[in-house]
Amino acid sequence: MNVTLTVNGEIRSASVPPETTLLVFLREHLLLTGAKTGCDIGDCGACTVIVDGKAVNACLMLAAQADGRAVTTIEGLATREGLHPLQKVFEETGALQCGFCGPGVILTSKALLDENPDPTTEEIRTALAGNLCRCTGYVKMIDGIHEAAKMMQSATPALPAPEQR
Amino acid sequence: MKPFGYVAAKDSEHAVALLAEYGQGAKVLAGGTDLLADMKFTPHPPPEVVVDISRAADLKGIALTDAGLRIGALTTHSEIVHSAVVHQVAPALADAAVVIGAVQTRNLGTIGGNLMTCVPSMDSGPTLLAFEALVTIAGPSGRRTIPLSDLFVAPRKTSLAVGELLVEVIVPKANLYKPTAFQKFGLRKGQALALVNAAASFWTSEGLFSEPRIALGAVAPTVIRAPKAEAYLSGRPVSEEAMAEAGRIAATEAKPITDFRASADYRRDLVAVLVKRALAGAWDRATPNQKELAS
Repeated sequence: MNVTLTVNGEIRSASVPPETTLLVFLREHLLLTGAKTGCDIGDCGACTVIVDGKAVNACLMLAAQADGRAVTTIEGLATREGLHPLQKVFEETGALQCGFCGPGVILTSKALLDENPDPTTEEIRTALAGNLCRCTGYVKMIDGIHEAAKMMQSATPALPAPEQR
Repeated sequence: MKPFGYVAAKDSEHAVALLAEYGQGAKVLAGGTDLLADMKFTPHPPPEVVVDISRAADLKGIALTDAGLRIGALTTHSEIVHSAVVHQVAPALADAAVVIGAVQTRNLGTIGGNLMTCVPSMDSGPTLLAFEALVTIAGPSGRRTIPLSDLFVAPRKTSLAVGELLVEVIVPKANLYKPTAFQKFGLRKGQALALVNAAASFWTSEGLFSEPRIALGAVAPTVIRAPKAEAYLSGRPVSEEAMAEAGRIAATEAKPITDFRASADYRRDLVAVLVKRALAGAWDRATPNQKELAS
């Protein structure tokens, strides 16, 4: 079956068998490997992407269910002008260690901040309950999300471009 | 996942037609969070065709109608959590919805899907039973409305016939605003199955419990009511002691199993505690007006 969706602002389509999950569609058909395959059963959150503004587990959604909808993956966050505030803060504060959970954590956090620009620590913890991280202990992530929330509220203008190597 | 056929339903009528066409071979996909996880790991063969109802707009939405609070079967747990009307007329439904899975699963998973899994640990069940909710079922010969309690038959088995579809859940008008509370105990705060969950509701009249309803999850083959505990409370003066005793009676009505999460004895103890807390929570929720009638 043909599935067409808007991924990070671009219309993409592919012909896939019906049992294709959104995660397999993104990773194997569109070669967007930012969303990770962790548990593949909806427990770990490593595959989290944003569909029509809502964080979902891409492993628990058929590509067919996402047909015609707008999907944001980690590949879509940075712009020409630079990293998304969440990415920048996570990098600077060391909120990630091995990084495997990172794309999911950042997208869950983005969906949270888009809905709730100034969340409490409790609201952040609730939002992250479905994203397992076995390295960091979450403290720096929570601090980082507060920090990114401040940046996003105070500065609508884009961040400076990263230095070229 | 093993290969299966796929067809998307435009609306509930189309879904019922597709279910009639494919019969035993069809499996309904609502949010997909349970179905996909099952299909990935089950040793059983996949369904012939998955009927995706996730785009059927007439199965969505929360509204007050002549019958009461109508929640379309496709309404997600997140939509219930954020619904102003739910918070106004039946806030315990939001308390139950917000502890289901994690944000990601609540954004996809639906109330109808949760009920149709018919697992004893479902978090949607107890509160709806305490509200004496009804469910509407569509089939080849039209629609029928039954008490939710008649939906649950056995673990993972509902009373729906092949070709039938759950279309909506209704909290009857008479029970809107009824003070009700939900309690869940899991091994973690986030994303845990209930070891036990419970809900309780009651009106008060002249200081006495009136129409008390107590429902328990994860301690019997399906979500159940606790009629002996309800009978004990009915007509008795509202007190903490009575709530605690109702909890102890409910524990004798539970038929929990021992598994790797907890022993049956532990679950029975939890029933006593959670029922007491749910009753106290319902009392806390009663408005000053409702309490005044009580004293």
